[in-house]
Amino acid sequence: MNQGHSSPSAPRAPQPGKGDSRRDFIWLTLGWLASLFALGASGFATLRSLVPNVLYEPSRRFKAGRPGDYPDDTATFIEEVRLFIVRKGSTYRAMSAICPHLGCTVNATVGKHPFLCPCHGSHFSPDGAVMSGPSPRGLTWHALSLSKDGRLVVDLDRAVTHDKTLVIQA
Amino acid sequence: MKSPKQVWLWFAGTRVGRSIFRVGLPESNLGRMQAMVSSFLLHLHPAKVHRHSLQFSSTLGLGLISLYLFLLLCITGVALMFFYVPSPEHAYDNMKDLEFVVSAGMIARNMHRWSAHLMVLCVFLHMCRVFYTGGYKPPREFNWVVGVGLFVMTLVLSFTGYLLPWDQLAFWAITVGTNIAGYAPVIGKKIQFLLLGGNIVGESALLRFYVLHVVVLPAAVVFMVALHLWRVRKDGGLSRPGEPDVLVPQSETGRLSTNKTYGLMELARGTSPAVGLDPADELPAWPHLVFREVLLFLATMAVVMFLSVFWNAPLEEFANPAHPPNPAKAPWYFLGLQELVAYSAFWGGVVVPALLLVALVALPYLDRERAGVGVWFARERRVAVTLFTLCVVAAVILTVIGTYFRGPNWGWVWPWAASVVVPH
Ligand code: HEM
Ligand code: FES
Repeated sequence: MNQGHSSPSAPRAPQPGKGDSRRDFIWLTLGWLASLFALGASGFATLRSLVPNVLYEPSRRFKAGRPGDYPDDTATFIEEVRLFIVRKGSTYRAMSAICPHLGCTVNATVGKHPFLCPCHGSHFSPDGAVMSGPSPRGLTWHALSLSKDGRLVVDLDRAVTHDKTLVIQA
Repeated sequence: MKSPKQVWLWFAGTRVGRSIFRVGLPESNLGRMQAMVSSFLLHLHPAKVHRHSLQFSSTLGLGLISLYLFLLLCITGVALMFFYVPSPEHAYDNMKDLEFVVSAGMIARNMHRWSAHLMVLCVFLHMCRVFYTGGYKPPREFNWVVGVGLFVMTLVLSFTGYLLPWDQLAFWAITVGTNIAGYAPVIGKKIQFLLLGGNIVGESALLRFYVLHVVVLPAAVVFMVALHLWRVRKDGGLSRPGEPDVLVPQSETGRLSTNKTYGLMELARGTSPAVGLDPADELPAWPHLVFREVLLFLATMAVVMFLSVFWNAPLEEFANPAHPPNPAKAPWYFLGLQELVAYSAFWGGVVVPALLLVALVALPYLDRERAGVGVWFARERRVAVTLFTLCVVAAVILTVIGTYFRGPNWGWVWPWAASVVVPH
């Protein structure tokens, strides 16, 4: 294994076998490392390019109309963001309609468990707790606040516990 | 009036003909073997095939049928690509155009859809046949593993395919499927984000699944099928009873020596079809194998055509993220999985499938029983056969439940009870 890398300018003098094999070892190691690095780096770069840096998706924080738009004692479904705005008197909450199981949209129905998921049959109570079915968690409550111009603001990136409500005195 | 054979002989004898085919229509066994090795398509075959391998009952032709269906899928798939734009704005309309505007468009779409369903079925049955005849035993362990890879790829190809029409089925299948990926430990959420190219099922998800479906996966399958078929030959043709007990002949020089060779054949293994066997058990591949292959292809084509003429590929309503259909069902081959995730997404969607896959890959290395190769349900393999059958039966039961016994909100229904209509 000692052919292939003697430089033409300095013809290699015949050396004792030991030095040669050490030199081979170093070159081979370097060669392998360089090749693996090149492969790994290209692979990583390819994969990384597929992780988007910018998302052209609807904003995760948005305004959802005035508090007065929501009738008392109802859960209003906002289709585009798959969200219920739940109003009880002066308290407001934003509850996700996305089933925590595998992401289907739950239906609001009249009955014992008002939220049913058609995909694998999870049932949720009025405040989103799992009553039955495979969902590992209850429906998510999202942070709700009031903007300066008097609109409700939903933040889908912030989940809150369900005792956190927005109270608006009319 | 000249017969087609005479015309062929005349053409094969001309200068041009000889330059293309090299040998004329073979008249002797030697000529037949020469024909096999000197033609690009035919040289994939061995020059001679064992009688047992030619019997329909040995393989039920399932591997070949799978291959033909894949071929049909490639051809009809390319035809469909001319009319399809992978964007949520156009995809659904393109499906409608294929049905109502493009000449023969619906036939192409039907053929593509039914071939896909049949391919899933045939690949699965092929796997069962290989198992039940002990076809994965040494030296064919690795080819079984390649096969498992092909099985998974076949399923993923179908999965990426039915996202493309951007109808309700498409949208909810991808939603549920990528969410299952999200349950994988540690990197689940990252994989989900990468698959979708974002947080929601939209434009970039459609484009990603499209590229996977029309380029990445088919290319991978072509490579794997080539490897698979090459291995079938290098492993000594199909498994059969009374095969000489393996394997690579010992030799000082590392070159392979065999006691008998046909100069036409490259012999890499001591069990190549012609070695150490009574030649009386072997027939020239031309015409015996080639004829059967052509016949099987025509039969496959006839079935696909029949289905495509009389049944249209389904197209549900336009994708609506706000309202899943109720019940929202996957295609039949994923309904067993859907039934499993209806118990638990993590256990049913990640753990059980992963364990099954590991078990399938490990199978040929764990099963040490060497007897019973080439025999259906060999008595020596009672335990293995029973275990495998239990798994198959479980899969079938889950699929049947998902298909016929699940109604609105995935609740239990009796298939013979009047169907319930749920308003969206
Ligand atoms: C795209 C899918 C596949 C194609 C096109 C394919 C094709 C073929 C073909 C044409 C044969 C020759 C014999 C026959 O027709 O049965 C074969 C044999 C074989 N296949 Fe497949 N196959 C596929 C998937 C699989 C799967 C899923 C497995 C198992 C997990 C598998 C394991 C094997 C083995 C071990 C053999 C050799 C069997 C023997 O020698 O008896 N293949 N395959
Ligand atoms: S997605 Fe809701 S129950 Fe599975």
